[in-house]
Amino acid sequence: MQRTRITTPITRRRLGGLIAAAAVAGGGWRPARAATGADVAKAKAEGKVMLYTSLDTKIVDAVIKPFTAQYGIKVEYYRGGSADVTAKLLAEADAGQVRADIVDASDIGAFLAMKQRKLLRAYDSPATATVAANLKDPDGMWVADRLTQAVIQWNTANAVPTPAHWEDLADPRFMGKLAFFSSSNGDGAPRLYTLATAFGWKLLERYAALKPLRLTSPQVMTQIIESGERSAGFLTNDNIAWRSKLQGKATDYCFPAEGVPTELGAVGLPAAAPHPNAGALFYDWWMGAAGQALLADGGKYSSRADVAPPKGNPPLSSLKLIVPDNQKLFTQRADILDRLTSIFGGEWGG
Amino acid sequence: MGRLILTPAAPIARRARLNPQRLVLGLGVAALLLFVAYPLLWLVLGAFGLPRGFGLAGFTRSFTRAANVMPMVNTVVLALGVGVCSLLIAVPLAFATARTDVALRRVLNALAGLAYVLPPYLTAVAYIILLGPNAGHINRALAWAGLPGFNIFTGYGVVFVISLHVFAIPYFLISEALASVDGAMEEAARMLGGSRWAVLRRVTLPLVAPAITGGGLLAGVASMALFGPQAILGLPAQLVYLPTRIFGAISSYPPRYAEASAMSLVLVVLTVAGLAAQRLYLGRRSYVTVGGKGVRPARWALGAWRWPLGLLLLLPLLLAAVAPVAVLALAAVSKVWTQAPTLDNLTLAHFQAALFDNQTAVRGLLNSLKLATAAATVAVLIGVTVAYLDLRTRLRGRTALDFLAILPLGLPGTVLAVALLQAFIHPPLVLYGTIWILLVAYIARAIPLAARSANVALRQVDASLEEAARITGAGWVASIRRILLPLIRPSLLLGWLLVFIPSLSELSSTILLYSSGTETISVAIYRLNDLGQLEVVAALSVVLIGIILVALLLLQALSARSRTSVGTASATG
Repeated sequence: MQRTRITTPITRRRLGGLIAAAAVAGGGWRPARAATGADVAKAKAEGKVMLYTSLDTKIVDAVIKPFTAQYGIKVEYYRGGSADVTAKLLAEADAGQVRADIVDASDIGAFLAMKQRKLLRAYDSPATATVAANLKDPDGMWVADRLTQAVIQWNTANAVPTPAHWEDLADPRFMGKLAFFSSSNGDGAPRLYTLATAFGWKLLERYAALKPLRLTSPQVMTQIIESGERSAGFLTNDNIAWRSKLQGKATDYCFPAEGVPTELGAVGLPAAAPHPNAGALFYDWWMGAAGQALLADGGKYSSRADVAPPKGNPPLSSLKLIVPDNQKLFTQRADILDRLTSIFGGEWGG
Repeated sequence: MGRLILTPAAPIARRARLNPQRLVLGLGVAALLLFVAYPLLWLVLGAFGLPRGFGLAGFTRSFTRAANVMPMVNTVVLALGVGVCSLLIAVPLAFATARTDVALRRVLNALAGLAYVLPPYLTAVAYIILLGPNAGHINRALAWAGLPGFNIFTGYGVVFVISLHVFAIPYFLISEALASVDGAMEEAARMLGGSRWAVLRRVTLPLVAPAITGGGLLAGVASMALFGPQAILGLPAQLVYLPTRIFGAISSYPPRYAEASAMSLVLVVLTVAGLAAQRLYLGRRSYVTVGGKGVRPARWALGAWRWPLGLLLLLPLLLAAVAPVAVLALAAVSKVWTQAPTLDNLTLAHFQAALFDNQTAVRGLLNSLKLATAAATVAVLIGVTVAYLDLRTRLRGRTALDFLAILPLGLPGTVLAVALLQAFIHPPLVLYGTIWILLVAYIARAIPLAARSANVALRQVDASLEEAARITGAGWVASIRRILLPLIRPSLLLGWLLVFIPSLSELSSTILLYSSGTETISVAIYRLNDLGQLEVVAALSVVLIGIILVALLLLQALSARSRTSVGTASATG
């Protein structure tokens, strides 16, 4: 595998505390039997875990397989965008029919919403010891499991000029050549908001003026860039862009030097989970060194300080990460969706 | 309403002591109240903000926010566009197949039927493969020839794909009208010296005009409800219609039930207005000659034009029924759909994924089969009950039953889902999160069709047969079990399949009501399409189309048989 060319110079860390611990990405991970705080016998008796996740299914499949092999516990999953996962869980809670044993979504705002409605239970997993304190809920309701950087991706054959900065994509030469993603219920909103708070809403308006094609998921967006349908895309998932390049597609990507929006994914245990012990056991596996290493193998940056970045990607410490104010993202969600609707048009779930 | 039902009324009803008829009527009404009326009540209450509060915010937000008003406008424009485009396809096709000796008549007719049963969201997916702006097969061919392409991700694209599906409604309506127009009038006009064209324009056309207008209206109404193509083609184009808007408002968090309910009511009003206009138009301008057995007019001999015209008419049908199936089949066996189908590029791996590996797909296929089977069975039972009480008894309350049974016609799938969601997410009856809520949705959607087909079946059997049984001492239940049911069994099976086929691929309601573990094949297709796994989507589509085709063949065999049995039944009656 060739090393990813890092187009951004290494910059000072801007976010200090928040990301610091996560970013001290050390050498390799140590394959070790995951420690668990769950009752393994009870978990095995429950025999099944229902995982709600917004993670790419290829990674999910890879993480599940060794778990089932080790414990003989079947893992079923419901996969949707972060907003799908959250809305589904909230609706099930309304009905008193919670189906999820463990929930993972790339939206801290969603966890704040679940916590506010008392849908989560506190769990102090031994597997999260190496996650920085500021990446965990103080009450133990959720813990960050992954960091997704929203990068610039382009087709190496037809992106002229080759973009390196957010500003470059506002170039009129990209008229009708850009792509971005957000599902109809607003999955792309957090990162757009983050970009806007760092560089101004005007930037988004200039993008919108170039008539970017909006795709429903980063997976579809990368296909559109691979096929040359569009030359470049803003704010796609680093892991999806990483995989495309790894597969030898004519694409490349960069973490812009002036800063790259980062999205914290998190994982938590529903209070009304039907298989609480199996859920907790899987939580420990998911957050354990081996589980997180599988996430990294799939292109994800782990929240654990002891898990290396995806092969070929720079350590987070070398990137200038922009973290949104998640509390604001949560409380002002309706306004943010409204504003994005007025800028880009279309359906945002707002 | 309960008291109304229990009032003893009809002489037939009075005869039996324990009165099983009233029991059945009671059960029928209870089922319909629960499946249709109760959810509708909650839709209205929800629009006023209940049970969280009470207010008009849902309505004011619906009509004041641009994000809500645009979808309303788009939906009306879509309906108008589809109405017109459907007629452009349907009118020439219906006239040619009914009034001329054009070649390929049976093929054309069969393909129109196939176009209608193909789930429209599959047509949408197929047209991404064919007309995706740059990568689509047709667009690449056009580009190669130096011609401009056609972008399917536009309002025109949505109208085009939906028209390819719903044109079948006006086509069959107009064909039926043409078949029932008394040919003697046309013959007379001909004998009085009218040219072919003059007769067509001045005699035939005015006679079937209500069918044309009504068909166009129905096509437009149907188009408004089709969530699948609106989402798959419209959302990437930033085009929002009411169903996709309602979906967005509910599937984001926190869900906004009041706004979604109020917009659902707007969609209901549009739907009912379209249906009412169609009724009104048909009622005012009834084609006078329709009725008795008329003379079948001689077919217009086209001579040398038989084949050219046949091939020309075949073109839209190829686009509607053949091309989608073909490209999906091709993509399903290609490693990468954008590449040529060379031997290197062939694989069965996507079928492996669709049928064995992908959890959602496997569960979806099983759930859909279970749900469609159960929904068809229950809907047919309810349909027979409604039709029986309507035609064979004079029990009071049966009109209410009739009314309840046609209500779902005015409820697009998305609206029904919003209603069911609010009705069954709270006590006393919580169904959300279970597969039962999907079953209720499918049954409710199927009841009008099931009731109508049971009605047709019952009309074909003369009541005197059952009366004879009753006179000779058989009880009511025995007369139904031993006389009526055997006679109408083929028609019931037909009705069962008519419900089974659309239930198997239902998306509009399902997408809002499914949960983890209760995914359907349509949900699997929709979700995998979101992730860009077009090849697996294609494999799953091929499986779905395969099942539909088998059901369709059964349907055809059955309808051929039931026609003959109808003949004997009416002869004995």
